[in-house]
Amino acid sequence: MVYCLADNVTSPLGTTTEANYEALVGGQSALQRYEGRWHLAEPFVASLFGSEQETALATPGLTRFESLVVASARRAVAQSGIDVTTSRVALVIGSTKGNIDCLVDGEEPSQDYYMGDTAQHIAAALGMTTQPIVACNACISGVSAIVVAMRLLDAGYYDYAVVCGADVQSKFTVAGFQALKAVSAQPCRPFDMERLGLNLGEAAATMVLCSHRVAPRDRALWAIEGGAVRNDAFHVSSPSKNGEGARLALCATRAAEIADELACINAHGTATMFNDQMESVAIERAGLNAVPVNALKGYYGHTMGAAGVLETVMTMHGIDHATVLGTRGFEERGVSGKITLSPDHQPTARDSFVKMISGFGGSNAALLMSKTPKLQHAEQALPGFVVTHRVTMLPGSLTVDGKSVDVACDGGEWLTAVYKQCMGNYPKFYKMDMLSRLALVASDVLLQEEGGARFEPCDSRAVVLFNHSSSRQADSDFLATIARDDECFPSPSLFVYTLPNMAVAEVAMRNQYHGETSLYLLPGRDDDTMRNIVRASLLDAGTTSMITGWIDFEDNDHFVADLYIIEKRID
Amino acid sequence: MEELIQELKERIIDALNLEEMTPDDIDAQAPLFGEGLGLDSIDALELIVLLEKNYGIRLANPAEGKAIFASVETIARYVSEHRTK
Repeated sequence: MVYCLADNVTSPLGTTTEANYEALVGGQSALQRYEGRWHLAEPFVASLFGSEQETALATPGLTRFESLVVASARRAVAQSGIDVTTSRVALVIGSTKGNIDCLVDGEEPSQDYYMGDTAQHIAAALGMTTQPIVACNACISGVSAIVVAMRLLDAGYYDYAVVCGADVQSKFTVAGFQALKAVSAQPCRPFDMERLGLNLGEAAATMVLCSHRVAPRDRALWAIEGGAVRNDAFHVSSPSKNGEGARLALCATRAAEIADELACINAHGTATMFNDQMESVAIERAGLNAVPVNALKGYYGHTMGAAGVLETVMTMHGIDHATVLGTRGFEERGVSGKITLSPDHQPTARDSFVKMISGFGGSNAALLMSKTPKLQHAEQALPGFVVTHRVTMLPGSLTVDGKSVDVACDGGEWLTAVYKQCMGNYPKFYKMDMLSRLALVASDVLLQEEGGARFEPCDSRAVVLFNHSSSRQADSDFLATIARDDECFPSPSLFVYTLPNMAVAEVAMRNQYHGETSLYLLPGRDDDTMRNIVRASLLDAGTTSMITGWIDFEDNDHFVADLYIIEKRID
Repeated sequence: MEELIQELKERIIDALNLEEMTPDDIDAQAPLFGEGLGLDSIDALELIVLLEKNYGIRLANPAEGKAIFASVETIARYVSEHRTK
């Protein structure tokens, strides 16, 4: 089990958790209406830092995003009192798009664009020396970062982890969500009958976690009793009607065993039609609908990669003050799942809660947090694994379990030739960005070699991939659709694929895998870090096998997929 | 109208990446969504962009799209009545 030593929330409402909490208790919201911002035709409501706040947060030599992460992490680290310069401290960043505002239309991305490199700038500014890890799983990135940090600490690879979720806003993300018709031009109304969509927001939030082996015994700390990531395997952007991925994530936390002792479920509650409806169904199906539900988007908007950490921290602080924070913007339940919410802050005597979150790519995650741990936690031996099959794809080369395979290519794109020869009959292939196409085709060749049952729902197989170049090609293609103010027609389908976790999502969807799906961005291929994360991820009791490996797509002449199927082994 | 239908088919194939299809494969009267071409909600949003970009038609409410995008023929009828470019 792991504990939270210190935390910070840096948002337009304040630069300390306490200042944020005071603002929320006072009913303040950071949401404001913007018209003509970034030359966007449609007005929108968002929670953005003002220019004075940005100046105060800026660190010379760092970008806006990096400065924000460093400002939040520094405060939390100082409060924790730990020495972050040692090899026993991990840095895990959860972000949806990192430095995306640094990408310039028509130009090669600068080094800042690559999130693994961004994380190294942040690590250096914090004086940290271990290889940073970026969890990049669309809107669940913050919780995803907490879950992987928890597993790395439980595995014994580190004693401490600085976990920071963050995102900044720009024309890129606002135009993208507008193209998906997901943005409301009014303050959002989570779970309400008249909800019209989400508001975007920018923030960073940090938790400094420690393993139970080094946890101080002199004070009560928040504990993470459980956490898991699961996939809907339904659609790239629509959540499934029965909330299967969210239900599985909730069940994996074992929260139902202590339902009577939960103060609340802090939902994602983006205030889009589909998300809130799906969450209500998932909560009901997980047997948790007697627990009060709240959502904080009415104060902060949807802060993307920050959301999972920020909302967990604010819910912890509420419960520290015997309070379940109210759902600002909610008036009347407008979802079919019979859940209860209140616009007002409510007193509570309970000290456990569930955080749930969902995102594009069918991704869902949940945490069970307790001030007084309630479940039995047996010490788990770190699982090993065996590799059962391996596929390596490079431009012009396909190797399956060590044997080279000839591909008939008539001079067109080689990857398409492999698709036609080895797969075919899956027209969605042509709708995907190149990173997803590569993941799909390479995993399909791998699974054909395995020869097992295909396309049947499976909860126990995870898809965990590692990457450097993110969704570089999709990012440039989408940016080209919004770069000119007089010809701004943001493409919704291109925007969806600017989330690099679509690569794991497409594999899950094709094969009906409802297990964990995670994408990690690293500064470069690093087999030690990858192996540690894979072994730590196998601590998830629900995972028995995994498709994993390195995947990267820069352009048609520079790509690689080196994927494995592994089976968990417990001695 | 025939010309517009042909043009729409080409633009739909291009915008929705229906790579292995030709305009002749699309029946102008057949339903676009559901079984037909296997289109989904993102494709519907992409069709909204197609109308705005090429014909200057803005659909503020995506729900309006349902009737308009029933078939290529219904799109053609809507475009010919509402186009501003």
